[in-house]
Amino acid sequence: MRQRGFTLVEVLAALVILAIVTTTTLAVFVERQRQLREASETILAWQALANEVEYRRRIDFIRLDTAPAAFDPGNTAILAPLAPYAATVTVTTPQPDVKHVALTIRWQNGKRAASLEIIRVQTGGGNLF
Amino acid sequence: MIRRRQRGFTLMEIVIALAVFGVLLYILAVLTSEMNGYEKRYPINFMAHPDTAATVARLRKDIVDTYDYPPSPYEEYTRGDRVLLISSIRPDGSSETVVWDFRTPGEVHRKAFIVGNLTSDWVARGMPQFTIAWALMPNGQNALRLTAIDTKGQIAIDEVIQPRAH
Repeated sequence: MRQRGFTLVEVLAALVILAIVTTTTLAVFVERQRQLREASETILAWQALANEVEYRRRIDFIRLDTAPAAFDPGNTAILAPLAPYAATVTVTTPQPDVKHVALTIRWQNGKRAASLEIIRVQTGGGNLF
Repeated sequence: MIRRRQRGFTLMEIVIALAVFGVLLYILAVLTSEMNGYEKRYPINFMAHPDTAATVARLRKDIVDTYDYPPSPYEEYTRGDRVLLISSIRPDGSSETVVWDFRTPGEVHRKAFIVGNLTSDWVARGMPQFTIAWALMPNGQNALRLTAIDTKGQIAIDEVIQPRAH
């Protein structure tokens, strides 16, 4: 009985299918790794943001503008894996008795960022609770 | 007897096969290396564990409701970086003394006392090692800082929690 092997077209078709399956699997793997890394970074950034917000809420309204524009050092220790990063605070005054305090953390050369903004209102020292 | 001529692979075929496998192995090695780097660089996400998240949420609720700190020691507990003593408010408005005990590795104990009588004893297992400290806020008030370090020594949980105004 005459035996013959695969034709070139058959071999090429098999290789194409194998390449597609392999590439897709690797792409899914790489994408999942990227998403996990970004999720970890976001979790770290938001913990620092939430802690800094607690700090900024306790600064007197009239001192908000002169408070340091950098995060409290105690709140940035958790950001070490994101280094180099920039953590900044911006205060704007849309109305005399209202201030917006925007906290931003940028990392990966500014490609990624997380930000949180709070609104402070001048209550004249009174307690709103 | 008919002998069929048998021939093996040519050198070129073997070289190409090895090259293809080599490329695949290289990609695998790069991905594994990236994964190891990722694991080394980032702390463990303890909060992904529902029990840990629930424990931190319960602690947060207690801290937010705190209106006073009882004298230390209380019963057999002395306030420290692994023991938290607080006076909190019950749903009916009455007061209770709550002890959060992080001294046992992997466990978190919460005990509540009313006038010295144990009324609630709750334990969570499989927990990270929590440490508590105090963070001074700009208004002079102390906030509680809850941290957890993973096995690589990286800060995995860092939460500042402050009692609310009553």
